[in-house]
Amino acid sequence: MADSAEIMVQKNGGEEENMAAWLLGVNTLRIQPYQLPPLGPHDVKVGIKALGICGSDVHHFKTMRCANFIVKKPMVIGHECAGIIEAVGSEVKNLAPGDRVALEPGISCSRCDLCKNGRYNLCSQMRFFGSPPTNGSLANKVVHPASLCYKLPENVSLEEGAMCEPLSVGVHACRRAQVGPETSVLILGAGPIGLITLLAARAFGAPRVVMTDVDESRLAIAKSLGADELIQVSTEMKDASDEVVKVQTAMGTGIDVTFDCVGYNKTMTTALNATRSGGKVCLIGLALSEMTVPLTPAAAREVDVIGIFRYRNTWPLCLDFLKTGKIDVKPLITHRFKFTQEGVDAAFETSARGGNAIKVMFNL
Amino acid sequence: MGSQGDAKNGGEENMAAWLVAVNTLKIQPFELPSLGPHDVRVRMKAVGICGSDVHYLKTLRCAHFVVEEPMVIGHECAGIIEEIGSEVTHLVPGDRVALEPGISCWRCSYCKQGSYNLCPEMKFFATPPVHGSLANQVVHPADLCFKLPDDISLEEGAMCEPLSVGVHACRRANVGPETNVLIMGAGPIGLVALLAARAFGAPRVVIVDVDEFRLSVAKDLGASETVQVSTKAEDVAGEVDLIKKAMGEAVDITLDCAGFTKTMTTALNVTRPGGKVCLVGMGHNEMTVPLTPAAAREVDVVGVFRYKNTWPLCIDFLRSGKIDVKPLITHRFGFSQKEVEDAFETSARGGSAIKVMFNL
Repeated sequence: MADSAEIMVQKNGGEEENMAAWLLGVNTLRIQPYQLPPLGPHDVKVGIKALGICGSDVHHFKTMRCANFIVKKPMVIGHECAGIIEAVGSEVKNLAPGDRVALEPGISCSRCDLCKNGRYNLCSQMRFFGSPPTNGSLANKVVHPASLCYKLPENVSLEEGAMCEPLSVGVHACRRAQVGPETSVLILGAGPIGLITLLAARAFGAPRVVMTDVDESRLAIAKSLGADELIQVSTEMKDASDEVVKVQTAMGTGIDVTFDCVGYNKTMTTALNATRSGGKVCLIGLALSEMTVPLTPAAAREVDVIGIFRYRNTWPLCLDFLKTGKIDVKPLITHRFKFTQEGVDAAFETSARGGNAIKVMFNL
Repeated sequence: MGSQGDAKNGGEENMAAWLVAVNTLKIQPFELPSLGPHDVRVRMKAVGICGSDVHYLKTLRCAHFVVEEPMVIGHECAGIIEEIGSEVTHLVPGDRVALEPGISCWRCSYCKQGSYNLCPEMKFFATPPVHGSLANQVVHPADLCFKLPDDISLEEGAMCEPLSVGVHACRRANVGPETNVLIMGAGPIGLVALLAARAFGAPRVVIVDVDEFRLSVAKDLGASETVQVSTKAEDVAGEVDLIKKAMGEAVDITLDCAGFTKTMTTALNVTRPGGKVCLVGMGHNEMTVPLTPAAAREVDVVGVFRYKNTWPLCIDFLRSGKIDVKPLITHRFGFSQKEVEDAFETSARGGSAIKVMFNL
């Protein structure tokens, strides 16, 4: 396999050949050429500069599937990204070459009822970076609708721009669960999603946030990011009722909103039992498909279960939070790699390891 | 019994149906508290039997509520005002009223924010240790007694209580003129949910049940389509398809009025992305359900506990004819020892017995 850096091909108007990280099979990523589609009138061509690895990318990498999405042919991986505009389509007015932008990955149809009613994240025709069969964005360049590229404020870096994608999950969850200045929040799980949910909850004004995790070091990070109380929990279901008491005691008042950023029987059981009557449990974590949970007693206390699928209309708010400093995502970026074959292999191994690796970022 | 004069109750001894042991109801004296300034004394005329009343009769418990000492049963009721407290201005003796069973504290944050149904200090007719209302007379706060229009019968007044469950569920699930509704279960609660959903403007209501007779009642009450389903878990996928065909369009809201693992599984799978599942029924406590795929389609699960602020709307629906509850009253009994026993046996039987009503 030729060294990608040495191949110069007279394509793309004399530019170098576009390369991307292709998922070819289980545990097999290869940097290979990636031919871009032509630039449509409403599209832009973006040179990708920063790209983070998501748990779903790792899942696709390890199993060639994620929930109902199955990788049936080689696919470019990656979706959490930001870059610099290289070219704009003929109808694009609000962006120019040189602009630094964060990219929202998913292209919805704009024609179905869900899209027209503003819930475009649920569009059945959604084409999303790195969700098969749509190619992702761990590449030198991508072509993307201009309307899904958001100009970064001067004081927001490209890496922070790439962080808008995971941050959007937390922001969307806080909106759906109606987090505000009067809602005390419990977050189960201090992984990347739990941590950005913490940042989002604080930005939405939550007065008190308690977090749980099995891992002490992740709880320490949560503390440094502003969690009020941390509770270390176990993976044993028999500890659930004790842990409910612990989190309620730690909160002090009734728990208004619980985010389950893990998604196991035990965490949902804890969430349903610990949340106050009339409160909300927001299920973000997607660990299990079928769960055994005490749903009825919770429903009979009007504890509602809110679901989350990705996000919608979150980039402007994320960028605002970053610009004003209401949210600082930089501490979550723990590891950085270059866009080379070794870099890609090492990055995915690091991300899959978890532990002290929170967000693994490519710099291209 | 009955010959002892009692100045408090206008000279007669007040009798009630007491739950004294499992499967054992006895009509015995029931001494009323004295009338407070904001209370009224009501002569009971119509009392319906609820599934929870039957559950208490058979097991002396319902969820975490346990009957530890003899308790008067019954809570779905209407009657005639006999006496009013000194501060009561909106009711007079002779007024026909429907009663909202639960007395909340009015001091806690739930009460003050309008979610009084969730008040931890709630005192609710026939939820232990609070006595119920299957009695000659009860004393109750006047603000929980709602005057019935002249053309609404006392039986219809008693029906406001179960109807309130359907109304509250429709509110919490946001049923309206653009929401196609699926109802799991055509028992008394599924049927009041059907009536409420129609009154809230739902354009299409599909209802499912295992029992053909109950489905035919549902059809008569205005269900757009009915689907007969089984109790077998392996039939879920096929039934989801049948339901989708019956609805014709997407299912926006599902009201699970049965509350079993199978019905919740069906509900979570059949409801459209962004829709709502309202869990009304309390069949199973712990359920193994495909929660995550539903959550990942933003299908929310909304719970209901009894109701709040529903009597005025129920009475309005009855008065305007938007809802007709009369077909749900299938069996009637008088207030005697034998009839109380027969009535509960009939209600427990289910089947063709939908609402069993006492006339006192």
